[in-house]
Amino acid sequence: MTTIELERRNSGAAVREQRLDPPPDIRPTFLEDVRQIVADIRWSKNLIYQLTLRDIRIKYKQAVFGFAWALLMPMAVVGAGLAVRFAIAFYSGKGLALGQIAGMAVKAVPWAFFVGCLNVATPSLVSNVSLVTKIYFPREVLPLSAILAQSVDSLIGGLIVACLLPFLGVIWSWQLLWAPVLLVMLWFLALAFGLFLSCANIFFRDVKYIVQVFLTFGIFITPVMLDVSMYGPTGSRIMMLNPVAPILEGLRLAIVHHQNLLVPRYSPDGFIFWRPWYLAYTALWAFGGLVVSAVIFHRSERRFAELV
Amino acid sequence: MKDARLLFDRVWKKFHRGQIHDSLRDLIPDLAKRLVGRGPSDKELSEGDFWAVRDLSFEVRAGQTLGIIGPNGSGKSTTLKMLTRIIQPSRGYCEATGRVGTLIEVSAGFHGDLTGRENVYLQGAIMGMPKRDIVRKFDQIVDFSGISDAIDTPVKRYSSGMNARLGFSIAAHLEPDILIIDEVLAVGDMSFQERAFGRIRDLANSGIPVIMVSHQLDRIAEMCTDCILLDQGAVVTRGTAAEAIAAYVQSHDASRMVESTGIVMFDNLCLEGGGTVRSGDHFSVRITGRTSVELGDHIEPILVRVRSLRTGGLIFVSGSQWRGFKLPSPGPFDVCLRLQANLPPGSYMIEVAAEDLNIHEDIASATSVMLRVTDSRTFAGHIQLNAGFSVVES
Repeated sequence: MTTIELERRNSGAAVREQRLDPPPDIRPTFLEDVRQIVADIRWSKNLIYQLTLRDIRIKYKQAVFGFAWALLMPMAVVGAGLAVRFAIAFYSGKGLALGQIAGMAVKAVPWAFFVGCLNVATPSLVSNVSLVTKIYFPREVLPLSAILAQSVDSLIGGLIVACLLPFLGVIWSWQLLWAPVLLVMLWFLALAFGLFLSCANIFFRDVKYIVQVFLTFGIFITPVMLDVSMYGPTGSRIMMLNPVAPILEGLRLAIVHHQNLLVPRYSPDGFIFWRPWYLAYTALWAFGGLVVSAVIFHRSERRFAELV
Repeated sequence: MKDARLLFDRVWKKFHRGQIHDSLRDLIPDLAKRLVGRGPSDKELSEGDFWAVRDLSFEVRAGQTLGIIGPNGSGKSTTLKMLTRIIQPSRGYCEATGRVGTLIEVSAGFHGDLTGRENVYLQGAIMGMPKRDIVRKFDQIVDFSGISDAIDTPVKRYSSGMNARLGFSIAAHLEPDILIIDEVLAVGDMSFQERAFGRIRDLANSGIPVIMVSHQLDRIAEMCTDCILLDQGAVVTRGTAAEAIAAYVQSHDASRMVESTGIVMFDNLCLEGGGTVRSGDHFSVRITGRTSVELGDHIEPILVRVRSLRTGGLIFVSGSQWRGFKLPSPGPFDVCLRLQANLPPGSYMIEVAAEDLNIHEDIASATSVMLRVTDSRTFAGHIQLNAGFSVVES
């Protein structure tokens, strides 16, 4: 460690330095970075809480409908889904079952949550520019608290849908316990994408527009309004490559069809459209992706204030 | 807190003039260059870059207050940003050990739609205060800011002064191990400024390391044990506050200075009895130097200028010729200059120079000494008029 001699007070001695060894050049390893991120987040618990509170307050402060907004997006998805499904049902002549509506409702809220998370997390660093350039705190808290605020929103929507499900013919079974597992995976997946995209958006502002385009058309390559089995044997496999798809389909199968997700499921046409390893695939995206994007975020964090 | 300190070790910081690539079109060629290893290095200057801070080192320990002064763009705020970890040095090493309290941009985290109360909790959290501390100190913070009536009003309806006062009050109630201050002394009205400055002085006197940047040189003179003068990122002068301020003030007047002609040379300038006098008291300045030739009437050998560090402006000019004083003959001289400090309390710079009255240019480099005037509690205002009272017998 360099020592700079301090001799007397009131003499300017503190600023007359003596030079010794070169400054240390330390590169932290991947694991040290992960540990640092966890420590940072634990240290800023209060900050995360206050920022989440701020985001929620701002959203509802001057809004007429208040928390009813939390339901708007899922309702729009279900409404659009009904229209599409009705057209398909009419064309194929099979009719529209109550369970299909329940399946759409079950998938609409998580999808709205995922879209909402990416929409608020991606610009979270750039829109807090006055904080990022003026005060130091672990920057991870900005996308994280944006996603937490969105989670509170979606939780309300989710509870309302849960209350409606019995009327759509859903009954209790032990398979419902898959739902919390899948929702946790979805939350971590959203955080992984949110961290990466918010950081990318600082470096390249076009990321925000790319995300918007993808989210607008994402509903067509994610089984939200339609079920994955409707895409056929090859189509369903390709569809399931989308890491959100197994979560949404898993939720529908577990809640509406009481399917044990560790058992493959066959479509009425006789091909397998749910394979248990889809779960592992999505978990890898969620947890592996989170660690990787958190480290990328952490390593580029020090340049944020200059680039934003 | 043991061993709280601020350390800067050979720090360099590079900035880029002009645009940085912001979109993919610019990125791809740049990435390609980086891949083949011909991209710009972080540590060297490439086209359009400049050093905002060059080779700066210092250490501030408990009980010390370091001031950084210099013209705009000299790297003062960049230095503080590196200390607070907002930006990283390009070269070298810097650290702040302990809990850092910053009085910089004190209302940066405010959100206009939230009330003052909500913003106190938010800003406190951003500055790293634990929740229970904010709860405990909430009333103190609001009292100090003096806006308790408006605390439940959204901040967007505040005046800019109220905004700044609330922000300062939050920051001032941190319990830091280290204090970093950037130009926040000009907050609010006069009475609040005094209160704010008193608060900063209390924090600094509690024995923690303090670093401050300010253009109010009298504040620097009053607070700092050490001082660095920066210009274009490099250290010009380092030493006591008086030394650095003298160098700074004189660099302003550099245009007036011509080559020293050697007709008059000053050796030393000192205040007899230390640098502090009570307002209204007499004091002496001892000036020693040499003259090399018989001086004509157009040479003013001892020109005295007094400058207020609050404003940086000259408040008094006089000279030996004006007062009918002649230096005896060529050779060394030792002159005592008597002055009366009819001044309000504050910090002043007494400069002595020789001037050619024909061309109005200094012909000997000015030397200077700093004067502290303390309150005599006999007057208030800009100048002492020696008020005398007597009862008129009729």
